[in-house]
Amino acid sequence: MVFIANDNRRRTPGSRPPRFPGFDVLDEVERWDAVTAGVVLARLSPSPELSFFTGVEQATAEALCDQLLAQHDDPRVPVAALIDVRLARGETDGWHYADLPPDGVAWRRTLAFLDDDATRMYGSAFARLTTSEQASCVQTVQSLGKQMWHDLPAHQVWSLWTRYACTAFYSHPWAWNEIGFPGPAYPRGYKNMGLDRREPFEVADSANSAPRSDAAR
Amino acid sequence: MNISANLSSYSKVRTRNNSAWLLPKGPGFPHALREGMAHFDDDDEVDIVIVGCGAGGGTLAQRLARAGWRVVALDAGPFWDPETDWVSDERGSHSLYWTDPRVISGADPVPLGSNNSGRGVGGSMVHYAGYTPRFHPSDFATLTNDGVGADWPISYADLRPYYAQLEQELPVAGQHWPWGDPHDYPFQAQPVSGNGDVFITGAQRLGIATRVGPVAIANGRFGNRPHCIYRGFCLQGCKVNAKASPLITHVPDALAYGAEIRAHCHVSSVLVDDRTGHATGVTYFKDGVEHRQRARVVAVAGYSIETPRLLLLSASKRFKDGLCNDEGQVGHYLMVQGAPQTAGRFESEVRMYKGPPPEVSSEAFYETDPAASYKRGYAIQTVSPLPITYAEHVIAQGHWGENLREYMRDYVHWSSLGALCELLPRYENSISLADEVDKHGLPVANFSYSMGDNDKQLMAAAQSTMEHILKAAGATETMTIQRFAHLVGGCRMATSARDGVVDAQQRTFAVPNLYLTDGSVLPTQGSANPALTIMALAARVADQLIAGQRKGPHPKAVRHV
Repeated sequence: MVFIANDNRRRTPGSRPPRFPGFDVLDEVERWDAVTAGVVLARLSPSPELSFFTGVEQATAEALCDQLLAQHDDPRVPVAALIDVRLARGETDGWHYADLPPDGVAWRRTLAFLDDDATRMYGSAFARLTTSEQASCVQTVQSLGKQMWHDLPAHQVWSLWTRYACTAFYSHPWAWNEIGFPGPAYPRGYKNMGLDRREPFEVADSANSAPRSDAAR
Repeated sequence: MNISANLSSYSKVRTRNNSAWLLPKGPGFPHALREGMAHFDDDDEVDIVIVGCGAGGGTLAQRLARAGWRVVALDAGPFWDPETDWVSDERGSHSLYWTDPRVISGADPVPLGSNNSGRGVGGSMVHYAGYTPRFHPSDFATLTNDGVGADWPISYADLRPYYAQLEQELPVAGQHWPWGDPHDYPFQAQPVSGNGDVFITGAQRLGIATRVGPVAIANGRFGNRPHCIYRGFCLQGCKVNAKASPLITHVPDALAYGAEIRAHCHVSSVLVDDRTGHATGVTYFKDGVEHRQRARVVAVAGYSIETPRLLLLSASKRFKDGLCNDEGQVGHYLMVQGAPQTAGRFESEVRMYKGPPPEVSSEAFYETDPAASYKRGYAIQTVSPLPITYAEHVIAQGHWGENLREYMRDYVHWSSLGALCELLPRYENSISLADEVDKHGLPVANFSYSMGDNDKQLMAAAQSTMEHILKAAGATETMTIQRFAHLVGGCRMATSARDGVVDAQQRTFAVPNLYLTDGSVLPTQGSANPALTIMALAARVADQLIAGQRKGPHPKAVRHV
């Protein structure tokens, strides 16, 4: 038996009304292989004692990741802590842009730049700004595209932030619950392939409405 | 193909390569074979030392060990056990990729790592999708036929028998193949998932031909390898042992015939005797200590980034600008395929994470279209990004925050196609040594890449075709991410030293007993996934080495089988 605390069950980030009601990938944990289960379950409780980011960096990183992933309510996937684990181990993607320093240095510098911007525009550290003020700082970086943000190409900074943030968030069982993805599938596999075919453990989409976004409107 | 035909072809395969029957019945790797592996001393002059144990190096090691050569293959990464080392998880598969530092530059920098770079025994084929198409005959003469790219010093006919051999050894499943040199596959095509259904339906409505396959996953058992369980994590390393990689298709047989495969050995230079001009072995780091392995032949199979990097790192008094680089060819003409992926939104639940991502292909646009303003073409295949990769698609549309979450919540309704566009070789697309160093203090590679006009036209055409197919199948919205896939070239094969690094036998022009046996030798790339071609080239080199060997099988050669 694998023990999973109740506060990890049937969770979605921010406890939003689920689009896949009752779906919990952790219901299937007994059917995962032990190696995979170990790796996935460790994400539920990364150490809150960060080892790469300084305290100031941690506050900025958490606020930045909450913005990028719209995590405005608890419970939150511990995105910054999961990024910290990676950076502390030097687990990069195996490349960095020539115009950007190696990932760890790039994270530290860009977090400091965010604080610089926040202080200049709103007179306070990034983590202390309101959500909409933070959003406007973040939007500034994305909107610069291929132009420079401080002394770095903005689109490459954007790539760095979003790669790390999405990798952490969408590796978490709560995020899988939100999107209806059943996670690990070994040695169980799938039997019912094809349009609108589901396994007994998959849950039908209760909303089925095409995404609406500001960009699409 | 019926069962009796399969059985008779099995016995033929086994006389050439018994790997699938050496694996355990069930998951994992045959540990007894590994524990009983030969061990050669560093000072022992082995018949060949092979740098890298992926598609090229693994195939070469197996062929030569079977012929009685005393083989040592060195790999920078681990000797994997699929059952205990790999996970059925996207994020957790990070260790499969080459994640030592590398720098990317140019007008169109190409991300590496998970995108195209493996590490460990089995190489990038551990995490390739599993598509194993052949190149077309036209790929070997694009300069003559189309006035672009380069002509190979060999033709399709030279590779054809090796394609057929390897399709049996992997083995490959697929429908009859009508494109290029038409051929059949040893296994019937796999059933397809919702994602494959969408592609076939959309293409049919537009009159575009598709075929299921060619995928290196047996449709059935093969030796002791189990049937695929359609779990969808092909790009994370196949824990099932259903999808082919050299780790399970060639390494077991190599070990049984006495090859030594030394993992965690990072080769730092090829040694060349300045007096004789011959390679004498390699130096390598293991656990931080530098060793040297002597050998009478050296083969480098580190793929398109590490092979040129190693030659550049092997500069000597004789080769001041890097080994084999007198003509300034090392590291150049490095290619990637333009690989835009287009996703479409469907009312139905597609759940594209189910089933192998590689399912259905079309090579209807592979050849030059006389009516088009660009030369050469593209292939279209199913791809099925898992959530983390799919998030990159959404981010590429400019979404973040609430919009990102909104699109991701809709994941089960999206189907995805990928194109492979033949981007043309350009001298300036190249590897050089960066100022940054790796953990051994060796300068890392800087890969500079920029597209030309033909390249951009091809990618736009491929995107438009994918959008049409998805819409014809009923997609209400599409989104495309611009990306690149696969690496080839960097030390290309040519008729003269002025134009390349190796000759038609993949022997370097500069050093007579130094061979390059990986994707770096490809002069062009077609629109085909390169794995099968890299293996076929290595098998061909092996045959030539065996035919021309200066001495017979070494008396010390070990035979277990």
